[in-house]
Amino acid sequence: MIRYFFRALRAQLRGGVLLFALSLFGVSIGVASVVSIQIINLNALGAFRGSMLAVSGSADLILLGKMPTLPETLYPEVLATPGVAAAWPLYRVDVTLRDADPIVLEVIGVDFFTAIDVPWEGEAVDVSAALGQSGWVAVTATLARERGWSVGERLSVSIGTRTAELVVGALSDFEKATPLASPRLAVMDIAQAQSLLGSRGQVDQIDVKLVDGVDEAAVVAALDRKLGTKAMILTPEQREEQAADLLSAFRLNLTALSLISLFVGGFLVFSSTQAALVRRRTEFGLLRSLGATHRQVFGLLVGDVALLGLAGVAVGMPLGYLGARANIDRVSATLSNLYLLEEIHQLVVPPWFFVLGAAVGLAGAGLGALAPALELGRKDTRSLLAAFSLHARVGEKAPRWFAAGVLCVLAIVGVYAVAGDRWRPAGFVQAFLLICAIPLLTPWLVQLATSRLPVRSFGLAYGVKGLGRQLQTTPVAVAALAIAVSMVVGVTTMVSSFRDTLDIWIERTIQADIYVSTPSRRRAASHATIGADVIERLKRHPAVTHVDRLRQFFAYTNGRRFSLAGVDASVPVDRARFALLEGEVEELPRDSVLVGEPLARKEGLHVGDDLVVDGPDGPVSFPIAGIYYDYSSELGSAFLHLDTMTERFGGGTVASVALYLAPDSDADDVVDELRVAFQATPLSMRSNRGLRERAMQVFDQTFAITRLLRYMSLLIAVCGVALTLIVLARERTSELALYRALGASRLQIFRIYLGKGLGIGAAGIALGSVAGVAFALILIYVVNRAFFGWTIAMHWPLGLLVWQSAIVLLASSVASVYPAIIASRTPATELRREDL
Amino acid sequence: MSLDEPVLRFHSVAKHYSQPSGGVLKALDDVSFEIAAGKKLAITGRSGSGKSTLLHLAAGIDIPSAGAVSFVGRDLGALTDRQRTLIRRDDIGLVFQFFYLLPHLTVWENVALPGWIASDRTFEERGRKLLDRVGLSAFATQPASTLSGGEMQRVAICRALLRKPRLLLADEPTGNLDDDNSEVVMDLLMQLVDDEQGALLYVTHSEEQAAQADERLSLHSGRLERT
Repeated sequence: MIRYFFRALRAQLRGGVLLFALSLFGVSIGVASVVSIQIINLNALGAFRGSMLAVSGSADLILLGKMPTLPETLYPEVLATPGVAAAWPLYRVDVTLRDADPIVLEVIGVDFFTAIDVPWEGEAVDVSAALGQSGWVAVTATLARERGWSVGERLSVSIGTRTAELVVGALSDFEKATPLASPRLAVMDIAQAQSLLGSRGQVDQIDVKLVDGVDEAAVVAALDRKLGTKAMILTPEQREEQAADLLSAFRLNLTALSLISLFVGGFLVFSSTQAALVRRRTEFGLLRSLGATHRQVFGLLVGDVALLGLAGVAVGMPLGYLGARANIDRVSATLSNLYLLEEIHQLVVPPWFFVLGAAVGLAGAGLGALAPALELGRKDTRSLLAAFSLHARVGEKAPRWFAAGVLCVLAIVGVYAVAGDRWRPAGFVQAFLLICAIPLLTPWLVQLATSRLPVRSFGLAYGVKGLGRQLQTTPVAVAALAIAVSMVVGVTTMVSSFRDTLDIWIERTIQADIYVSTPSRRRAASHATIGADVIERLKRHPAVTHVDRLRQFFAYTNGRRFSLAGVDASVPVDRARFALLEGEVEELPRDSVLVGEPLARKEGLHVGDDLVVDGPDGPVSFPIAGIYYDYSSELGSAFLHLDTMTERFGGGTVASVALYLAPDSDADDVVDELRVAFQATPLSMRSNRGLRERAMQVFDQTFAITRLLRYMSLLIAVCGVALTLIVLARERTSELALYRALGASRLQIFRIYLGKGLGIGAAGIALGSVAGVAFALILIYVVNRAFFGWTIAMHWPLGLLVWQSAIVLLASSVASVYPAIIASRTPATELRREDL
Repeated sequence: MSLDEPVLRFHSVAKHYSQPSGGVLKALDDVSFEIAAGKKLAITGRSGSGKSTLLHLAAGIDIPSAGAVSFVGRDLGALTDRQRTLIRRDDIGLVFQFFYLLPHLTVWENVALPGWIASDRTFEERGRKLLDRVGLSAFATQPASTLSGGEMQRVAICRALLRKPRLLLADEPTGNLDDDNSEVVMDLLMQLVDDEQGALLYVTHSEEQAAQADERLSLHSGRLERT
């Protein structure tokens, strides 16, 4: 039978190269979508994990400062804790290279005489130089190669408005130990790092090595008693999990979108397997009558599908890798802008990933072929040899399937009624039910729509009407297209609504004329401060009337890290500073806090509740006066009055300032003047308009990958239209021959097939648009709220949706041209009894 | 084209097919006959004698390897595929042994199909009259697949006659029917052709049915014999 399988396969491939190619395309793109997203997901945390292992790989516990730093004086106490074999302090600061290409250097200040083991490039380095030479730093050999640096190279860096001169004293090779370690890791003496780039007496982290066999929990409890709320005690695994949790929503949503492509690809496999079954029914019937067992015949079909799946994996895996590579920059930008994590520097694909890819491809192809294979299983020899009437059976079942589809829709409503946006998986359950509902609703709706269509001529309308009579094939293409369209409509509406919401939010909340911060602010957070002298100079500019100051650091509430900002809100403004979701306050109150929506949703906080923040001397409680809309980051944020922050958390310098100008001043001109005046100071200045543009740029960058994913599934679905019509042209040869015998011209048959393509396109758009509205509602009102904590106001981008629909319709028409040509070439002599 | 011109003329027509083995299969060889308007011509012959090939050539579905097939004086072999298609659409009706009704269309839609193909809006009334004539008006809105064999062939005859063809070609029109239905269908076919004054060329195995024709020819291994 195996010999027969390969003989038959050769014949099949010869007879249906295009069908095979289209099916292969569907599976490959589906696999590529999933694989590329999984590679990105896998590597999104790679740099973080790699850098953490490179620095703290040998540690059993990591003590992280919550304020955000720890007093150095705690170090001897940690070291003296029973069960601690060794401990070493770390001072971490992300500095910006003052260069034409201003990259971020992740500087780690270490005590070279403790247990930390730096992997040096080449010979071991005499670390005494690290202590003796001012600004001595070891950079990775990879970065040195990339930038053309060698030992002795002088580097000018900035942290906030402070600048420092560093000297490359040695080259390290962290990638040797941990391949995913960031090439931007730089190591220097901790005392030098504190004095040049940060504050003396403070450390960010203390790594701890435990005595062998000691009870870890007991040591953690002892440390916890000593450190109180000042530090968070984590194992390296927990530290990694923390970062993974942060990215979980982002990664899950990308995975879900990529799976839709695979799902749509499965429809193509369904169509082609269905076609193979129809085409080979006599062959299978003959084999059965010659004594082949049911399992053997079933095996032939499964063999075909397995081969298709494997070919799809072989093509899809490299495509997926290329897709991931092409999107590194976009995802890296999102990781660093939204999650403040390390960028992806390189892609690593572990061997087990190939097994995952193969499983995804085979499962996708297998699921697509499942229904036709089961159909084959139900047939006896006699019925295999007799003519098929599959469309008639589909027609009979269509109302029942429709009813099942309606039940799915009701279930979506039910899940919302019960779980709302409180249960995280609810959105995915609803999306899954929606995707199941579409193919179930399609056959009966297609039947209903086409049965009402009046036909008075033999052309487009006749072709469209025929769709309702070929229910074994056309609803599959319509459903696949409808799913892809629903994804496009849903995601487009969500992204567009989000963009409009963000635009309005920015308009409402960005009120100052100029915003000043430092290039290192985003990554270095509390370290990146603006010197008081710089603020004084800014104030002295003749156009500046008021200055708002903002101090910001990462704090913890209930173990959750969030951005806590203190604002000097004494400047009178025309409108309320915060767009509030809950509460009614015009200005920032003195003794209470305003909490951003993502943090409020994740912690279940409301106006009247208290926000409990870990303070330097224990938990500090603030009554919540309002919940404001916050789209700045998924991490969550809260605002205090600057004076309150100083009172409760101690003094500190500001991270950014907002300048208000005299009414007749031009913000862009003032920015230009300030840039000249502060040429030597590392400042980042944006006018109100410039900041808005930058925010929108970041937004567009963040959603660029979703655009790619939705168009991939659409591409697969359009191929499905072509595949279906080719299958129809082949299956309905006798019908076409009859038309030709009755005098139909080639052009007329061409038009009929064009009509079918247009009909599938229009039906897919109609169904997909309705489902897309539901998809958009799920994304906006459930998924975004539950996962990201963002309230998005619904805005329908009608113009864009109409334009996209026109493109889909055009694509469907183009996809039907080749099948229409095949159909129009059918000679009247092809009229055979068994096909009609 | 003169009024005396026969509707269909085969002049020394041959149709050869190349065999995969390298040989040549002579499906028809030196076949000549003609049929005038209002006349009926029956062709008999065993399976494989070339009857279907002859009908394909007569309908312009295929062209001869040698000789000429003329339809009302026009050499079908000299015409383009499109021109032959238009002749088939406007002037030739086809009735098949296996009816070839489209199961997804209603009875009336099957009859109306040639009118749709020709974008001819005048046929609707005629289609209804023809259905009435064959006694199937009551089934007009039913799917064709629900009819019996005899009823299906009556619908197929209506479809063939819808556009008043000059030539009706019937390929064993009763070959798939029982005796009672065969008689009904054949009588109906003859009557309708008489009424329409078209020419009828039909292939049959039945001596009795062949006897109903004005002229009768017999095919043996691609060669024609007058009976």
